[in-house]
Amino acid sequence: MAVKVPILKQGKVLIASIQEDLSDSDILDLQHRILEDVIRCRAEAVIIDVSAIGILDSFGTKTLSEIAYSVRLRGAKLVIVGIQPDVALSMVLLGLTLPDIPTALDLDRGLALINGG
Amino acid sequence: MSELISSSIAEGSGNLDLEKIFRWFDLTEEDRACTVELGELTDDVGEHIIEAFYAHLLNDETAARHFRDDAHIAQVKRGQMRYFRELVSADLNDAYVADRRRIGSIHERTGVTPTLYIGSYAYYLNRLAHVVLERMDEDPHKAFHLVMSLFKIAHFDMSLALETYVDAREEAIQARERELSELPTPVLQLRPGLLLIPVVGTLDSHRARALTVQLLEGIQEHRASAVVLDITGVAAVDSAVANHLIQTMAAARLMGALSVLTGLSAEVAQSLVKVGVTGEALNTAGDLQRGIEMAEQLLKD
Repeated sequence: MAVKVPILKQGKVLIASIQEDLSDSDILDLQHRILEDVIRCRAEAVIIDVSAIGILDSFGTKTLSEIAYSVRLRGAKLVIVGIQPDVALSMVLLGLTLPDIPTALDLDRGLALINGG
Repeated sequence: MSELISSSIAEGSGNLDLEKIFRWFDLTEEDRACTVELGELTDDVGEHIIEAFYAHLLNDETAARHFRDDAHIAQVKRGQMRYFRELVSADLNDAYVADRRRIGSIHERTGVTPTLYIGSYAYYLNRLAHVVLERMDEDPHKAFHLVMSLFKIAHFDMSLALETYVDAREEAIQARERELSELPTPVLQLRPGLLLIPVVGTLDSHRARALTVQLLEGIQEHRASAVVLDITGVAAVDSAVANHLIQTMAAARLMGALSVLTGLSAEVAQSLVKVGVTGEALNTAGDLQRGIEMAEQLLKD
């Protein structure tokens, strides 16, 4: 299966930039690979960039929050960047406010957040 | 605006189920025949009654105020004459309904109150009934029958006008509400990265939704890291709107912006507590100044 979301390594940071709307299996695949790579690359932080996603269904939202919490259990920090207004609102309506997960407006700010904190 | 109202009324009349309404008013073909007969009987006194009617009308100060001068009175009298000829001709079709509604909307706009309208109508009917009774004193039973038929049609007629009153009022209220809800809520940039959104007026759920969209899009557009939402100008919020505000701030955080809520009145604070918000998850500040200070502090951390 072709890899839909490449995971880039930049220093101690892994960057997964989602470029298109993902199917359920794509999201699960991404989750699996991120959790593997965190240990394999000895990453300190992971940034998931969702700025290209216009619609995120409940499954996608739920999995995204699962990725976030499980990355933390694997000992790294996770930042979600680029959540679009519509996506943010639908996540909140689903009750997924991700209270402990740092978020940032875009990749720049996300990197700044990791390097600063 | 007035064209809009009358056109919407004209459209509305097309959907009326006349047969059903006639059944409700117990208005039969027989009644219509009776009224036509009545019309022939009283055609010559119409003018006389209207003269008396206007004398009565102009005696009343409130009613007299509706007339500019004698020419205006003459014009309205002619209209009145036509109105009652049509009433007794009993040709009750869609065009008739549309015409009555049009007249109703004119009344409504010129400030003829329902009391004035029905009072005038009653006066006219009363006079007409007396004339009929006088002219048919050899057969009062028949006369009574004719007058009752006329009353049915007159009531039907009045209901049309009153519906128009209600419609026009409704229309005005809706227009007002639209205006209010379209009151713009500006998204102001205090300095790079810090937005201020002052909310003034009534915050209903429609407006709260619009506010959410503006706030979230404003964050994106200005690349904001913090938003101060000031609701000093909001007197009260219901629980749905309170919830909506909380959700908006949570959504703003998902986008990477911190938000501070300021200017909560005592009532608003109480309704927030009632929906289970205790302020732990929210950054709140007493007034705008402290809110801005708080936002700047949060940005530094």
